Amino acid sequence: MNIPFADIKKQYESIKEEIHDSINEVLDNTAFVRGKYVDRFEKNFSEMYGVKNCIGVGNGTDAIYLALKALDIGAGDEVITVCNSWISTSEVISQTGAKVKFVDIEEDNYNIDVNKVEAAITKNTRAIIPVHLYGQPVKDLDRLINIAKQHSLYVIEDCAQAVFCKYKNQHVGTFGDIATISFYPGKNLGAFGDAGAVISNSNELAKKIRMLANHGQSVKHTHIYEGINSRMDGIQGNILNTKLNYILDWTARRQEIAQRYSSKLKNIKGLKIPKIDSNASHVFHLYVILAEERDNLKQYLQDNNIGTALHYPNLLPLLDCYKSLNHIASDFPVGSRNAKMILSLPMFPELTNEEVDHVCEKIKGFYS
Amino acid sequence: MDFIDLKKQQKNIRHSLDIRIKKVLDDGRYIGGEEIKLFEEKLSVFCGSKHSIGCSNGTDALMLALMALDIGPGDGVITVPFTYIATLEAIAAVGATPVLVDVYDSTFNMNPDHIEKAINESDKTIKAIMPVDLFGLPARYRVINDIAEKYNLKIIGDAAQSFGAKKGKKKVGTFADISTTSFFPAKPLGCYGDGGAVFTDSDDYAKTLRSLAVHGKGSDKYDNIRVGMNSRLDTLQAAILLEKISIFKDEIIMRNKIANLYKEKMSHLPIRFQTIPKDYQSVYAQFSIVFDNQMIRDKIQNELKKNNIPSVIYYPISGHLQGGYSYLNYKKGDFPISEDLGCRILSLPMHPYLEEKDINKIVGAVENIIVASS
Repeated sequence: MNIPFADIKKQYESIKEEIHDSINEVLDNTAFVRGKYVDRFEKNFSEMYGVKNCIGVGNGTDAIYLALKALDIGAGDEVITVCNSWISTSEVISQTGAKVKFVDIEEDNYNIDVNKVEAAITKNTRAIIPVHLYGQPVKDLDRLINIAKQHSLYVIEDCAQAVFCKYKNQHVGTFGDIATISFYPGKNLGAFGDAGAVISNSNELAKKIRMLANHGQSVKHTHIYEGINSRMDGIQGNILNTKLNYILDWTARRQEIAQRYSSKLKNIKGLKIPKIDSNASHVFHLYVILAEERDNLKQYLQDNNIGTALHYPNLLPLLDCYKSLNHIASDFPVGSRNAKMILSLPMFPELTNEEVDHVCEKIKGFYS
Repeated sequence: MDFIDLKKQQKNIRHSLDIRIKKVLDDGRYIGGEEIKLFEEKLSVFCGSKHSIGCSNGTDALMLALMALDIGPGDGVITVPFTYIATLEAIAAVGATPVLVDVYDSTFNMNPDHIEKAINESDKTIKAIMPVDLFGLPARYRVINDIAEKYNLKIIGDAAQSFGAKKGKKKVGTFADISTTSFFPAKPLGCYGDGGAVFTDSDDYAKTLRSLAVHGKGSDKYDNIRVGMNSRLDTLQAAILLEKISIFKDEIIMRNKIANLYKEKMSHLPIRFQTIPKDYQSVYAQFSIVFDNQMIRDKIQNELKKNNIPSVIYYPISGHLQGGYSYLNYKKGDFPISEDLGCRILSLPMHPYLEEKDINKIVGAVENIIVASS
């Protein structure tokens, strides 16, 4: 049995005709950059997600950059985020000219340790970017929002991996001031190219983000802000609109797969399964275990034709591009320990129960 | 009548486009992959640049070029106010300052006579010159290059509108240290979404550009050696562009024929055209005419509209007078040629499939109003 870490082709095969129709519709109408298909997707997504505004943009990285720019964050400012995210989260902070302040993660939930946030706040702090990594909300999101309020800080929720995930029965991304989403092809809701979105319940911020993403333009040829070019393609907007019909089913299947993994892997010594908080859902963009002898296990699974991945092998503050911050691994004890133990198992809605069982058998075999 | 008719072109190539798109879908590779590599190779063969690197759009292309040259806060970049805002915006986005010089009244491109004064009077460290090849006509790179050499500056060619144009045998993409272009659908070579590319002959710049476009990656995806961005050409768009670039040479000839027809048919009217200097070939991203004054221009645009003929003003408000750039402290009158062109210029429908009867209709409408007003 050959089990890839991810397989986006299977999903395409399952809705092939609809995808073709979605693309053809855009070609027939030559609505290629933003346009009516992106408008329709934005409207449908907002309604389904329960958020006032959705702005389709070029990709998930641009989405965070736009959120920061909308809040006028730049040189002289500091933004707090977590040490174990994908590079996008921190790279856009630097791009605005602001300084990144990294915080360690929680023991049990892989997300920002809310207890350590206040210590990172200085007089220059303007915002916090919590990341709902792997598809799970920050553990004590309410408290994080409260801390931000107390210190008059903005909250930008990075929901790149957590679309349709809920905290206390409310979608993540609707708690902070602005939230960002990635529709990278491998995401739970994936386009067939780069795409992303910014969501917000603030009409004022949404209006500004719309302008910033389209060259700071208020009306044609009038540029009231220095913006960028970050627009969702019509083709991607229409594909995403089609996929919206399936996202809840696909999410449910991911959760089912996760549950199956967890029930079979829960009592293995040397291995920790992901813990789901009682007040939250987990949309399992990734199913990540903490494994002793991680590298050997990864190799063993690979030898048995099972694909795995690491999210992420290098802690952000220790990367070359943040050398100037002079961090060492012990500044982030939990994150540093986890970076050596995390392993993402095969996860996509089309994975069969037999395949999941096979992966579990092999893992059991490795530890026995 | 459309200002730019994308459907006529699509009709000719739709079958091959569908096959290309289907192949990408079936391959299941939507970022990177074979089509990207193939298209980048085609770009290099087409323009003669050693390296061609796809990216998300023409604005990002400029940002990537600036970042590759390590241009940021405290630095100044010489460019023109008579351009699409993306030129200034990219400079500002990397934290540098646009330092503006006026354009030629004849070619609408950067007037190199103003560059040295701008360099000497600026309080910024000028690092580069960014000429813009407006409406598809390459700027005067030879002269600009002499100045760049004298002051040890780099040149970034904003070729968003001019990919495919040439001077003598040399093609756009090879005139500057780094050149950039846009594949916005309405561009002479356009995709079906946003897209762009960066060109350079330097192996070092190419390596840096490729890293910057993928989050500043080093040896692998998870090793980020510099602050970068996410700017990739979608595989689907590369597939579409592969089909389009195969007919691009013919389309450039068609665009030039149409421009010549326009000029011939309007030669007796009191208007003037963008001067195409000897040895230069434009790709006519726009066909623009300049009237005697704003009043007649506005009147003609209104009349054209009544006759269902679309026309656009590129660019009514020069960069230095845009609200978002007021902090640069330029004022009205600083760049008289750019401001004046903005008041008197008008771009007419232009695409390779424009028919002579449509040109006659457009010219007829323009002529009627001029005659009626004189």
